This record gives sequence, structure tokens and C-alpha cells, in this order.
Amino acid sequence: MPETTMENMPETTQEKSGERHITLRYRGRGSQIWIYLGKFLRMFVYQNDWKVLPMAAVIAGLVAMVTRFMFFRTMEGTLMSAFALTCVGIWNGCFNSIQVICRERDVVKREHRAGMHISSYIIAHLIYQALLCLMQTAVTVYVMRRVGIEFPENGLFTRWAVVDIGFTVFLVTYAADALSLWISSLARNTTTAMTIMPFVLIFQLVFSGGMLTLPEWSKPLTDMTISRYGLTALAAQADYNSRPLVSAWSSLISMRNSDITATVTVGQVLDYLADEENPGAAELRAVEFTQTMTSEQVLSLLRSDERTANVLRTVGDEVLLRAIGDGPVEIRFTLGEVVDGMAAKGRGKSP
Amino acid sequence: MELVLIILFGGKSWYTVAMSALYIVGLYGLLKKSGVPGWWALIPCAREYMLACCAGREPEGRVTSLTSFFIIVLDAGIYLTGVYGADWETIIGAVGTLAVLEVALELILLIYTLRVCGGLVEVYGEKRRWLWLWVFADFIPALIWGWGKKYQPAWKVEDIRRELRAATSSGTAEVLEDGLTVNLRVRTVTEFFRKKILLRDIHLSIPPGRMVLLLGGSGAGKTVFLNAVSGYEKADATVQLGGRDMYREYKKLQYQVGYAPQQDTLRGKDTIYNTLMDAARLRLPKDVLPSERRDRVDEVMDIFGLTPSRTHLVEKLSGGQRKRVSIAAELISNPTLFILDEPDSGLDGVMARELMEELRQIADTGKIVIVITHTPDRVVDLFDDVIVLAKDEKRVGRLAFYGPIDDARAFFGKTSMEEIVKSINAPAVGGEGRADEFIGRFMEVQHA
Repeated sequence: MPETTMENMPETTQEKSGERHITLRYRGRGSQIWIYLGKFLRMFVYQNDWKVLPMAAVIAGLVAMVTRFMFFRTMEGTLMSAFALTCVGIWNGCFNSIQVICRERDVVKREHRAGMHISSYIIAHLIYQALLCLMQTAVTVYVMRRVGIEFPENGLFTRWAVVDIGFTVFLVTYAADALSLWISSLARNTTTAMTIMPFVLIFQLVFSGGMLTLPEWSKPLTDMTISRYGLTALAAQADYNSRPLVSAWSSLISMRNSDITATVTVGQVLDYLADEENPGAAELRAVEFTQTMTSEQVLSLLRSDERTANVLRTVGDEVLLRAIGDGPVEIRFTLGEVVDGMAAKGRGKSP
Repeated sequence: MELVLIILFGGKSWYTVAMSALYIVGLYGLLKKSGVPGWWALIPCAREYMLACCAGREPEGRVTSLTSFFIIVLDAGIYLTGVYGADWETIIGAVGTLAVLEVALELILLIYTLRVCGGLVEVYGEKRRWLWLWVFADFIPALIWGWGKKYQPAWKVEDIRRELRAATSSGTAEVLEDGLTVNLRVRTVTEFFRKKILLRDIHLSIPPGRMVLLLGGSGAGKTVFLNAVSGYEKADATVQLGGRDMYREYKKLQYQVGYAPQQDTLRGKDTIYNTLMDAARLRLPKDVLPSERRDRVDEVMDIFGLTPSRTHLVEKLSGGQRKRVSIAAELISNPTLFILDEPDSGLDGVMARELMEELRQIADTGKIVIVITHTPDRVVDLFDDVIVLAKDEKRVGRLAFYGPIDDARAFFGKTSMEEIVKSINAPAVGGEGRADEFIGRFMEVQHA
């Protein structure tokens, strides 16, 4: 080991003011990351950091037991479950790192004085926390499957939805973890950090937009939350839009024996049916009717309208009877044709 | 224009502006009376801090200043939302939220203003009923106290400019080729809007192989001095270790300095061996072989008698053992300058003595060891020299003595180190209050 006593202390290889010196090279940022990573991994065992894994399993189990019959099944259930899963990720992430820096603030200060690079320390923490979050995510997904949640068969990005959802939960957990790490680096002690944390959690939950209908002005705040992105991603991966809206159907079913009393004018009905842009009306307009009539009934129908009666008088009944024959006549028309005809009649044109 | 009024006076209505203007006029006089330039009264946020300094309530002043800043920001936000808000729903929502935040801040401001005004009442020696006026109609007492000749503060805020001029014109210590030379002109710190002097005029040279005791009352600046000497917190100073400039070559020389802080700042859940091995990885040069590193760790553990408990967790160790681990972690890199801040705190007499004897042995290998201790007399025979720091009348840390132990006894006319500390401490803390006398005498000795 090179001795660095007073006798040989001024040593560098450069020629400086006529003196010869030997440069001693110390560990740079890259190799310091490994020193700290090793230290943190030891802490995982000694400092009970491993306890976050069973804690994640318990939390995931509780949430899974509540949501197992609605996740990936109904629209409302998927939304609630996605929100709950996002909350699990945020909770895990926050508790992983909220105390890690502030509790050893003095140690960090001392080691910084001894040559430690703050960037190496932080990067080592980020790598370690990423591993921790990855393990927690694996535990969470495993527990959810064991409890009985059936994940969709196909994912959006990979072939397996469970991988997609797991990756989303990891990102939510890691983002919350990094946020808490930042708070931990700002807080002077663990008490301060733990005082700040509930505010962060409440902000994340309230402004996620998942449970409460938020006013328009709060959109910039919503965009700043991890929960909003986590919720959106999970809902998309759970194919939220294609799930049945059970609450609406349930409401209708509960009303099936109820009397509905209302007064609607024919004009309102016609106006509704005449609206070609309304998809509901378009369906009704396409409904086809078939009416079977005798030739006598056709003649009396034509005579009932003044304009067709004039035509009959001109051509004579015999001509028409020859044309339609003696047998029954089948007339087909759609509801749209009827409505258009009536509308045209209303405007004074021939039907 | 309205926004400017909000920022400067905290509101745009004519009565808010009028009351604020009167307050500023009163504050101008009040600050001048306390030795602070009156124009600070014109600057929002800064004026709150300056008023707190005049009241001797600087920490509270930081809070009032910051809170005032955030209130101004919220006021401006409310105003701008009202002017540029897209629709009523947005305006009502945003203004409501900002107003709720502002109420919380106003409450904080009220509490801290009470504390600041309490200090002001004490400084002016007035009755506490003035507090009500200060809190609810501040312009009235500000005008009366600021311009009334009857109202005078008991003390003034120090004028830093004169102190700085005096500090930079003082002498220098002789530079040692092999040893530590400290020429500290001044060490200042800027907090908020105010610069404070913590230390000034400390010039000394310590040859290698010396074990130096650092004495001083609470708040005399011992730790600040050691931080400045180690180069961790830079001062207006020239610190040379072995003829090399500590500040200019800090990145290279920081490994030559070992600093064991007062608290046992170690990770309790790690074993002794791993703690020292990590310290070795961090502090030893890159090209040291792993086997050499292990040997060095074993060697240091032997020096401090830690080998039998090498696999024990740090948190399970006794106070003395923990101190030893803390010191061993610094000794790993074989530093030239070894600084220890109260290494014997929490140790009984026997253990403290043993620890100091180990430090003496380290000094005997040619290193400089500087030790702060609050129980110096039980180990004073182990030290070569003593540095005595004392607070002068302006509450600035100054050098009251540096030299051999026996010379110190003769200089102060005392037989023990504790008596020396007592002689320089202020009467308020049970001392004799003779700091200025010794500082002056030692300056004369140094110049002679």
C-alpha cells in the first residue's frame, strides 16, 4: 500500500514548481456505485429492508381478495381495481425509500467529506430501489394470480397481459419510490419525511381522477400525478372500454317492471326518426314492414288521397287492376321511407 | 400597476397601500436605529427578516420572510387568475384553492410575527401589551418606535463591513514545509439577506507529529474552524498541508485528512469488518491490491483492538468500541492530518484515556492530530499544544491562544484547561467574560 505519511505526502507525477510528484488515483464515480450497491444489498439483509416483500404480499393479497370478481370483468370493477392496484404501487414505492437518505444524513455527510461522490450514492440508491420495486412487483402479481384474479390472455405490448400489467405496476412503484427518495433527500430527519408523506399520498390519490370527478381547472395538477398515468395504463391494458357497463344495465333491469308515463307528440317522434346522424334513429329507420293487401284495398287506399285519386280518375280503375292482377298485393317499405314521405308531405311535395 | 401594488404593499386597495406605506416609513426608522440600512424596509420579504434580526429572532425571521414571499406569490396568483382566467368555473376553483393555502400561510405568519414582535418588545424594553398593536396594526408601533426618540434598542445589529476590513488587514503565520499552516482571515456565512462572521484572524502553524488540543466554549466556532482547516467548508483563508494549498488541491488532498465527527456516524446494521472494508475501498488509492486492502483493515482493527468483534454489528457495540470503529474508518487511509471532534464524549475516564493514548501513538508516527474535548484535564498530559478559541464582544470566534500546554497555563494564569475555558466564557454561561482581553493580548504576542 502506498504510504501517504508526511515524508512522502507531496507526490504527483507532474513537474510543478520544480518538484516531482506521484499522482494517487482514487475511486471514481463508477466504481463507487458498486461499493454503495454492495452496501445497500447487505442492508437489505441486516437492516430488515427485506420486510417490504412480505408487506407487499399482504397488501396485494388484501386488494386481490376484494377485487378478484370484478377486475377484468366489468367496466366499473376494472376501474376500481386498476385504481386499487395503482394505490398499492404508490404505497409500496413511497414506503420503500421515504426514510433511506434522511436517516443516514450524517453518515452521507461524513462519507462525502471522505471522498464519496453524491451522484454515485444516488445512482446506487436508484439501482437498489429498482431491484426492490421489481421484487415487490413480482410478489404483487404472483399473489394476485394466486388469489384468483384472471388476467386477460393477450397483452397490448407483449404476448402476455400479465407481463404488461406487471411492468406498469413496476413503473408506478418505481416512480413513487423515486419521488420519495427525493423527499427523503430534502428532509432533515425521518420525522419530517414521514410528516410530508401523507400529503404526497393524498395528492396522488385525490388527483388521480379515478375515483372523484375533478373540475377542469385541476387538470394541470392531475397531469403531475403518478396515479393518473398508472390508472390510465392499467385501464387500457385491462381493455376497459370493451368491458360491459354493468351498473347501467343493473339500473335498467331493476326498472323493468316500472311504469313509464310520458307524453310524446308525433312530431317529436318524427323529428327523432328524421335525424339521420343519430345512430339509434338510423337503426329504426331501417326497420322493414310488409303489408299484404287485396286489389280492392289498394284501390281504396289510392282513392283516399286526393292526388292519387286524380291519377286514378285519369287512367281508370281497370288499367290499375290489370296491372296489379287479382291476387293479394305485397307492399314493402321501411320506416325511414314512411318518415321521409310524411316529411315531404308536410313540405307540400308529392309523397 | 395593480400587480406591482400587490407585490410591494400586499394589496391593491387604497387603505392597504396606505397602511403598508406608513409601516414602511416606520420600519425605515426602526431599522436605522438598530444599525441596519433603512432601505431594506422597501424590499418585500427581506424587510421581515431584517426586522427579526433587529429583534434578535433570526430563525423566526427566516420563516416570516419565506411565508411573506409565498403569500405574495399566492396574492399575485389570485389576481392573475381573476384577470386571465378562462371561465368562471376555472376562476372560482383556482382562486378558492389559492385562498385556502393563503389562510394556512397567514396563520403561520401570525404565530411567527408574534414571536418576532415579542423579541422586539424585549429589545426595546417595552411592555408586552404593545404586541397586540404590532400584530393587528403594525404601522402604529412601527411609526412610534421608529421615529420616537424615547424608544431606543438595547443593542444594535453588528456592522459586518467594519469587521471584514479589520479582518483582512491582520497578520499571517509562517508557512511550514512539513506541517499544517492556517492563515484564516475570515469565515463568513450568508443566511437569507445577511452576512455573518463566524471566525476571523486565526493564524497558526502546526509542525508534524504534534497532538493539539482545541479548546473553546460552546459556539466559539471550533467545528467551523476544523471544517475550514480540512477544506470541507472553505473560508477566506490559506490552508497549507505539507506546503500544498488545501483549497486549491482539495480533490487530491481530501484523502490526507481524516475527520472523525462528534456523533458515531456509522451504519449500525453493518458489521465492523464490512464498515472498515467499505471505508478502505472508498479512501484508499485505486491501485491498492485487494490483499493489501484486507491487510490494512486487519492492521487498523488490531490497533484499536477490534479484531475479536470483527463480525459484530456496529449497533451492538459499546460506546467506546463504536468510537474506535469511527476513528479506525478514518485512519484506514493513513491520513496526514487527523481531526477528531469530541472522540471521548460518552466514554468513562479510563476508556477516554485509552483512546487518547492510541491517538498519541498515531501522532508519534509523524501525523498531526487535532482533538476537541470538553474534559481536557484528564488527558492534557498527552497533548503538545493547545488552541484556544473564544467569542469576542461581536460574538465572532477568535484565536485567544496557540502554543504549548504550559505556556497556556502561564498566559491565562490558570492551572487547568477547564479554568481557561471558564475565563474566556461569557458571564451568562458562568464564565469570567475575559475573552476580549486574552484575544487582544495574544494578538500583541503574535505580532511581537
